[in-house]
Amino acid sequence: MEFGTLSIQQLLSGYQKKEFKPSEVAASFLKNISDKNEKLNAFLQVRPDETLSQARALDEKMSQVEMLPLFGIPVAIKDNFLVQGWQATAGSKVLSGYLSPYTATSVERLQSMGAVIVGKVNCDEFAMGSSNENSAFGPVRNPWALDRVPGGSSGGSSAAVAAGLATVSLGTDTGGSIRQPASLCGLVGLKPSYGRVSRYGIVSYASSLDQVGPFSRTVWDSARVLEVMAGHDGMDATSAKRAVPRFTEELKAPAKKAFTLGVSRSWLEGVDPDVAKAFDSAIEFFKKMGGKVVEIDLPHTKYALSTYYLIAPSEASSNLARYDGVHYGYRTQSAKTSEELYSKSRGEGIGREVKLRIMLGTYALSAGYYDAFYLKANQVRRKIQEDFEKAFTQCDFVVSPTSPSTAFKLGEKTDDPLKMYLSDIFTLPVNLAGLPGLSVPCGLDSNNLPIGFQMIGKPFGESELFAAAHQYEQIRGEFPVADMAKGRG
Amino acid sequence: MLSREEVLKIAKLARLTLTEDEIGFYQKQLTRVLDHIQDLNQVLTNKEAFVQHVPVDAEPFREDVAVPFANHDGLMKNAPAVENNCFLLPAIMEQN
Repeated sequence: MEFGTLSIQQLLSGYQKKEFKPSEVAASFLKNISDKNEKLNAFLQVRPDETLSQARALDEKMSQVEMLPLFGIPVAIKDNFLVQGWQATAGSKVLSGYLSPYTATSVERLQSMGAVIVGKVNCDEFAMGSSNENSAFGPVRNPWALDRVPGGSSGGSSAAVAAGLATVSLGTDTGGSIRQPASLCGLVGLKPSYGRVSRYGIVSYASSLDQVGPFSRTVWDSARVLEVMAGHDGMDATSAKRAVPRFTEELKAPAKKAFTLGVSRSWLEGVDPDVAKAFDSAIEFFKKMGGKVVEIDLPHTKYALSTYYLIAPSEASSNLARYDGVHYGYRTQSAKTSEELYSKSRGEGIGREVKLRIMLGTYALSAGYYDAFYLKANQVRRKIQEDFEKAFTQCDFVVSPTSPSTAFKLGEKTDDPLKMYLSDIFTLPVNLAGLPGLSVPCGLDSNNLPIGFQMIGKPFGESELFAAAHQYEQIRGEFPVADMAKGRG
Repeated sequence: MLSREEVLKIAKLARLTLTEDEIGFYQKQLTRVLDHIQDLNQVLTNKEAFVQHVPVDAEPFREDVAVPFANHDGLMKNAPAVENNCFLLPAIMEQN
């Protein structure tokens, strides 16, 4: 039996009816990975014995299917999460061979509820990038078209699920790194509200923006993964101390059926015509369901790119200071003094884009520039947040395409950093404002490449996001899957 | 465009050695991004109003209690060089 395209819900139903066992499912995924990964380069590490032993332990507990919400579900984990016993490279030569000494809270919660880890997946170095071309371990290819990028930075996470090599995966999203690759690979991708999921055990990029979230085929699956991993964690001082709703229970009987969507037309200028068309048709679906559309004004979103590229690199320049070759990670062979040890280890170990961002941040925080750059950016960040606060007095969600284009070709945007950064123009403001954002597939372009619809919710408004996206998904109908996931290709 | 000296100064502050090629490359790339960022000067902002990014219901302070870390061996295994269970490093001060 082929399990690659099944959802969590379908796998759980099969387990309940005893149609198959976790070890059969895990073995089938491991075989798919070994057959297809050479083409995709999505997986950086698999440990078949470990995966199968986790799955076999569950075979003995078939009576507990209903007690373990992720019973026997194959999960791929982005390589910037720490999972004890597994490597964590964050896509960097600096952390090549690094073995996690403990496990991230989010992953620990998935494992304790029955999830089976099938592997660690590729990403842009330190989660900096929009195409997965910044990985020290080579680019990932898009299962929908192998000459195209899967998006980034969580490109391995999106490609793995889109190709049927994992049922769901975890990624991190600092400026769009879950939603944009989900959009480019035809998946549901969620960046939860800042503070919803613990960041303990992920490799930090920009701490005031980073969030952990799932990739999945369906909205229900996204809700299931979030309800398992969300919630306060004493190990992360920024994790919110508030109750986590039973999101999947709520989906059985949503409280509200007709939603008001806010659209800012001036924000949407310049998107590809096919993307604009699919976006408009998704809006028509909502109208058919009784929804309303209102025009909103987000006057400061046009400054999101500049704001982000001051704040994120500033935080990164501080967070990445730890890679100095002292306690772990890459160490140069040619240092005679401590000073040389730091500079050469970093110079030799860190990749091109990451160095650029470290230097940008160092510059923005240096004496004489702090007020003009970093402080100014944080003031504009407040303005962007206020734009959304005002918009939410008129609507339930702000909606946009997730990305201005569909999957682009490898090498197409690598020469000019700004061209690449513009891929995230619709996702960056959401991180700056700390809001939840969900990308749901809404169509295919003329090249048969998936398009994503982004829904931005109020702070901690994941319940409503899931309710609306779930409703949309049912009217839209089943979304096509990449040929590669159908056992072909 | 940022000068060669400015790039080298930033790299020194960031503790990054750069190759000759990289110096020229980052002169262009840093300039490209910094030029774009100038658009923030068009925004009128209030000095007092910057973002509160930590959720209101987070608990930034907790009891200061030491919690033992179980996997000491796991930490040391990742060390680039170890001697007598300590991290081995070049001398901090130059020897005469």
